[in-house]
Amino acid sequence: MNSVFSNKGTIAVFVLPTLILFCGIVLIPIFVSSYYSLLDWNGVGRGTFIGLDNYVEMFKDTRVLNSIKNSLLFAGASVFIQLPISLVLALILASNVKGEGFYRTVYFIPVLISTVVIAQLWSKIYNADYGLLNVLLQNIGLAHWAQDWLGQKHTALAASFIPTLWQYVGYHMLLMYAGAKSVSQDVLEAARMDGASRIRTAWSIMIPLMKPILKVSLVFSVIGAFKVFDLIYVLTGGGPFYTTEVPSTLMYATIFDTFRYGYGSAISVFIIVECLVCTILINSLFKTE
Amino acid sequence: MKALLKKSASLLLTLGIVSSLVACSTDSSGGAQGESNGKIKLTLWDQSVGNTDPSAKLLPEIVEKWNSEHPDIQVERTGTTGEQYKTKVKTSIAAGEAPDLFYGMGGGSFIQPYIKSGNVLEISSYLTDDIKERMGPGMAEAINMDGKIYTLPVYTHIANLYVNTELFEQAGAKIPTTYNELLDAIEKLKAAGITPAVIGEKDRWPGMYWYDIIAMRQAGNAAVMEAFKDPSKWDSPDFVAAATKIQQLAQAGAFNSSMFSMSYDEMLGAFNAGNGAMMFQANWVNAGIEDPSSAVKGKVKVIPFPVFEDGKGTNTEIFGGAVDGFYINQNTKHPKEAVEFLMYLSEQLGTQGFLAGAGLPSWKTDALDTSSLSSLDLSAADIMKTATSFIAWWDNILPAESAEAHKNLIAQLLAGDVTPEEFCKQMAQLKPTELSL
Repeated sequence: MNSVFSNKGTIAVFVLPTLILFCGIVLIPIFVSSYYSLLDWNGVGRGTFIGLDNYVEMFKDTRVLNSIKNSLLFAGASVFIQLPISLVLALILASNVKGEGFYRTVYFIPVLISTVVIAQLWSKIYNADYGLLNVLLQNIGLAHWAQDWLGQKHTALAASFIPTLWQYVGYHMLLMYAGAKSVSQDVLEAARMDGASRIRTAWSIMIPLMKPILKVSLVFSVIGAFKVFDLIYVLTGGGPFYTTEVPSTLMYATIFDTFRYGYGSAISVFIIVECLVCTILINSLFKTE
Repeated sequence: MKALLKKSASLLLTLGIVSSLVACSTDSSGGAQGESNGKIKLTLWDQSVGNTDPSAKLLPEIVEKWNSEHPDIQVERTGTTGEQYKTKVKTSIAAGEAPDLFYGMGGGSFIQPYIKSGNVLEISSYLTDDIKERMGPGMAEAINMDGKIYTLPVYTHIANLYVNTELFEQAGAKIPTTYNELLDAIEKLKAAGITPAVIGEKDRWPGMYWYDIIAMRQAGNAAVMEAFKDPSKWDSPDFVAAATKIQQLAQAGAFNSSMFSMSYDEMLGAFNAGNGAMMFQANWVNAGIEDPSSAVKGKVKVIPFPVFEDGKGTNTEIFGGAVDGFYINQNTKHPKEAVEFLMYLSEQLGTQGFLAGAGLPSWKTDALDTSSLSSLDLSAADIMKTATSFIAWWDNILPAESAEAHKNLIAQLLAGDVTPEEFCKQMAQLKPTELSL
């Protein structure tokens, strides 16, 4: 068996089909998009080559800048709110609590549900006329807090972040839980013998040993934040007044509502570059050796 | 060399994580024009799939009837819902995989780029006088684009004010015929704890309908058409007055406070559940209001939008008249058969659909028995008969980018984010229409 896998020819044969697929549906579209981003094109007929004009326009367009700001805020919320919650849950779950399997399943359920369904669910929760949230506030005596959560400029952005944060908590929790479970029992036992408290154990032993999996979670949540689309699209469509717009919804609107394929492609290229840079950055920050 | 290989491999992997973003599915069913044993196959795409959409029931029946009568020309139909449908058609035309026949929105901004770029088959030469004879009055002109014809009419849609008479009675309000009566009714409805009017402004076009009709009542249809050709005219006293009026309505609490988070579908749901006394929409909402599931069935009246005491518009100037129809792909392998089917489909759907309450007819209906129609359909048809002029949906008349700007500006106007004067200054920056009005 070993001899089979050490043979480079064999490896090539095994890798080739996936590589071809990958190039066909991932790499080539990226290059084609990059080319489109240099055009002034309405999606039909001939585009005119305008060089980097789309990019120049993009960084002057307040709507684009605002959407980038929103996605950065969203990434920040993912890293500083979602991941800590996931980590705490994972550590609790990994410390042999009762009903471990049950909680693991329950927290993972939202991940399995389609994002569109989640968005519909939350838009009902937020509904100004009959939404669960407002009813709840009224019942606990905070009726003056009740409002049109998704329809107002100052609440829409936060309100549209919460469902995704909530949805993927279980996902990151499960990743981290697997990482925590793989920490050797011997080490934990030694810590206990030395009289380390649970919190101390978590902080000084578990988290450092979970570093690789934390890095994965970090990359996933940052990239997930940069390319969030379906949830925002269904919840608010980028409105009201662009307050919840992120680059991907803006890209969609630019291409399909205003027929600017070139400009939209420039935005999509920006998203790819943004994700790529962040991934490389996080990887170098977490360099272990 | 090895390091380079390693580096590029890791870059490739990183790209892989990132680029699920770009992954898109290609629909290979489009443009399939296979010919098996001498039979001709035509593909048809439409957006009639809704539960309460009478066309959704009729279309498959008509296609089936055609297929059984024409064993040599078989039609295969695919339905997709609203906004997704537009995206699907746009993508497939851009990719050169469009079906033989597809549904197109009336007006222009949707279909205009494709006509210009030669993606839509011109059918003028196939049209006989006999067919023109069977169309309703004015329809031959309505489908004429710079002397060329690309589609046949199916339905006509016009927008009017829908009022829930039960809620009006409850509030002791009078059904408005003038602007002051409208303000009066709003006040009474509000006092009775009823939402005067519902707008699903999350989708932005329902709010646009309100501004557009107000502008037409204020300035008159002729002035609006002038402004479409010369946008600088948007910045004139009449349009400032119209913008002031809609802002006044919003400030008077005419619309639901949740309008910016309410979608078009939710708006229909709210109105049909009796949660709003007025709705300004086109007659495609009739079927939903008259559906057995609707709480307001039989309680709704459709009336022309009130006229203004100081306005130049009259209530015979109609918002709508948009002719929706099916278009043929320029690259179809069977243009003759496609046109033949187009004629059959358009007339059948146009007349039968009218009887089923899907829209006002674009074909002569004198011989038809209209006793099955709801009072909403009949009064909409009556309103249309009084028409002295039509202006279709503004977002279809304006070029795509200007249409988006127009809708966004109205949302800002409704929220009180721009003054009427600023609104008109920005409207004057729009591009002129490319259609011949």
